[in-house]
Formats: sequence, C-alpha cells, structure tokens
Amino acid sequence: MIAPNYRSKNSGLWLALTLLTLFSLSLFLIPGFIIRPFTHQSEPGLRMAIAVKLIAPAFTVVALIGLLALSWRLWRCSSLWLRTGIVTALLLSVTSTVMVRQNYFEWMFNPIKAAGFVSAGDAHLDDKEMVMAVRIAQEARAYPILQMAYHHILNDTVAEVPIVVTY
Amino acid sequence: MWKRTTQGRELHFYLAGINNQNFLMRDRETGSWWQQVTGRAIAGKLAGSALELMPNDELTFALWKSEAPHGLVLAPVAGHGDKDYDKKWEEETAKYPVPLTFPEQGLKDRDVILGVEMSGQARAFPLEKLRGPIPVEDKIAGVPVVFVTGPDGESVRLFRSQWNGMDIDLYRDAQRGPQSAGKSDGKSPEWQLLDSLGNTWNFAGCATSGPATGQCLEKINYLKDYWFDWKNYNPRTTVYSH
Repeated sequence: MIAPNYRSKNSGLWLALTLLTLFSLSLFLIPGFIIRPFTHQSEPGLRMAIAVKLIAPAFTVVALIGLLALSWRLWRCSSLWLRTGIVTALLLSVTSTVMVRQNYFEWMFNPIKAAGFVSAGDAHLDDKEMVMAVRIAQEARAYPILQMAYHHILNDTVAEVPIVVTY
Repeated sequence: MWKRTTQGRELHFYLAGINNQNFLMRDRETGSWWQQVTGRAIAGKLAGSALELMPNDELTFALWKSEAPHGLVLAPVAGHGDKDYDKKWEEETAKYPVPLTFPEQGLKDRDVILGVEMSGQARAFPLEKLRGPIPVEDKIAGVPVVFVTGPDGESVRLFRSQWNGMDIDLYRDAQRGPQSAGKSDGKSPEWQLLDSLGNTWNFAGCATSGPATGQCLEKINYLKDYWFDWKNYNPRTTVYSH
C-alpha cells in the first residue's frame, strides 16, 4: 500500500508532520480534558491547563504553518492514502487552531450581553422564587437565582458601583 | 457577589472554566483567571489579587419586594426559556457526582450549608438546622451571632447579636405565634423579634420600637454552598451542631 521507498526517504518529515499534528491537538485537548465538569482538578493539573491555554492561540498557528510547509513538501510524492493522511493532519490542526479560540463554556451557558431590568411590580416571579439581592445607597436590585444558576455571571453597575453577580 | 474593581481598575468578567465544580472566570482587561467562590485571582497578571465582597442577601422574591418595592429585577434574557432556567435545577444538581468528598465531619457532600468566615475562623451551618421560627444563636471567633428566618419561612439572615456593646438575645414574639412562620406572604406586618432590653426588631435587623429604635444590627454575610465546596476552600472549618 505505502511505497516503502517514499516512506524511508521522507520518514523524518512524516514524523515531524505526525508530531506537529499531535502537538496542535494537545494544545486544545489537554486543557479541555483537565478542565471538565464533575471531575477532580488537582492544583498542578489546573496550573498546567491554564498555562497551556495561555500559549495555545499562538502555538496552534505556529504548528499549522509548519504543517502547511511539510504538506507542501510531501504532497507530490505521496500516494492517495498518504495524501488523505496529510489532509487529515491539516484538518485536525485547523480544528485545534479554531477551538483554542472558542470559549465553549459560553456555548453551554450563554453570557448576559445586555442586562434588562423590570420594576419589582412588573416582574413575573413566584413569591417563593429565590433572588440574590443587593442594595447600594438607595438602589435595590434582585437577580433571580433561576437565571443566575444558568448564566452564572453578570457584570452590573448599581449606584455607580461596578459589581459582578456570580452564582 | 463581588465588587469588580481592583486597584481602581474596573474589570469585566466572563465564564472561563471549572475547578472542582466551582467555576472559573476571566477578566477581559488582563485575562487573569479567578475562582468564583473565593474572588481570588489564581493565575495571570492579577494572580494573588482578591475582589472585595459585595454584601448581599438570598431572599424570596416576595420578601425582597416587601423591603424594596421600588427595586429592579433582572429580566429573563430573550431566547432562554424553561430549559435553561430550569426550575428543578437544585434537584438536578444534587444528582451530579462530586469531584471531592469530605465525609469526616458528619455532612454529606451535597448538603447545603451556610458558610461564615469571621476573623479567619470558618464555620458551616447546615441549612436545615437554621430554617425555622426560632433564631439560631452561636459564637464565631468570640462574636455572638444569630441566624434569623424571615416571615416568609425561607429567607435567612445573619446578624451580629450585639447592640450598644451589649450581647442581646433575640427571640420570636410568642404572642404573635411562631407557627405563623412559613405561611406568611412576606408582607406580614406582625412579624418581629424581641430582645430582653425591650426592643422589637424587624427582619432587616432594625429596631422598630424600644431604646434602639431606628438603629440596625450589623448584618454578616454568609455563603450558601455545598458542603464539599465550602470544605475545599475552608479546610479548617468547623460544623455547627446543636
């Protein structure tokens, strides 16, 4: 299937292509795996995940550029099978490059981009519904926990005091 | 709830991850990583900084409205319905596995506690021991405190039970009937606490009659949390048991 002479001739380049692809993927998958719900995060694990997340945007681009150069070099002398491999490596690397720029936590829990408020008299809440309540100077605000338990974060300003409501 | 300023700089936070079932947020200004429950930056430029707590209450809507009839309520965000704002979220969450377990102090991982931290001492109060018509008294770091369940039978506040330098005992007005707790709509005008000095106090912790009239007790912030989460961040916490 794979012509052995091609492989041996370019084996160093193929190895580089494989490693770069894995490197690119790991920049997305390692933090994704460590920072996942319902599991224990150790302190060193979390520290590493955050460190990887910080370098991931730049390094996925570097990996992608390297992969493009390798693909350019290897494409002509590759069989259909090997070309499929090259395309797969590029697709995985592009996926990783895109995904490290996404905040998928906000896909699950959409942020409140522009908070709207209604007066206490106009709010359609059950009497027993729990709210987080804050009062600053003469301003009182209530944040229904049902909403905050989903969005989790609201950047608000009450009586000119910037606050972040978290739940 | 936190003030989102540090060293005079305003920050804007967004959800960024999860750490042992407590969420992580980042600020748009520096990209630093913050732990929601502690308000501390754990990584990035602002690592080591702490946000200042914004005192707040967890109340039923009816009770809040009775205290703040001119207040504003966060409106539901368009496009989010019952699926996201799931009325059964507490029952659902209770079924989820926990990333940490601390069975030694007699509480189950997802027992709901009210956590209090004063002068470096942390104590967890199981919520089920607090809700009821009788105020729950305790001392934390030598300071007398009292948990009071409001006229709605649900909302809980914590006060420093001292007035004018004196320790005070708060109790429900027996003639008005402690059995009324839980049935009120939160507007019940007769709900009040008494003390041995002849004061009456409302649920806001302010004296409505007696020598302290017009003055208010110091309200103390607590954190409603699951036991495992509280214990994780307060490893030396004690547990209230009376």
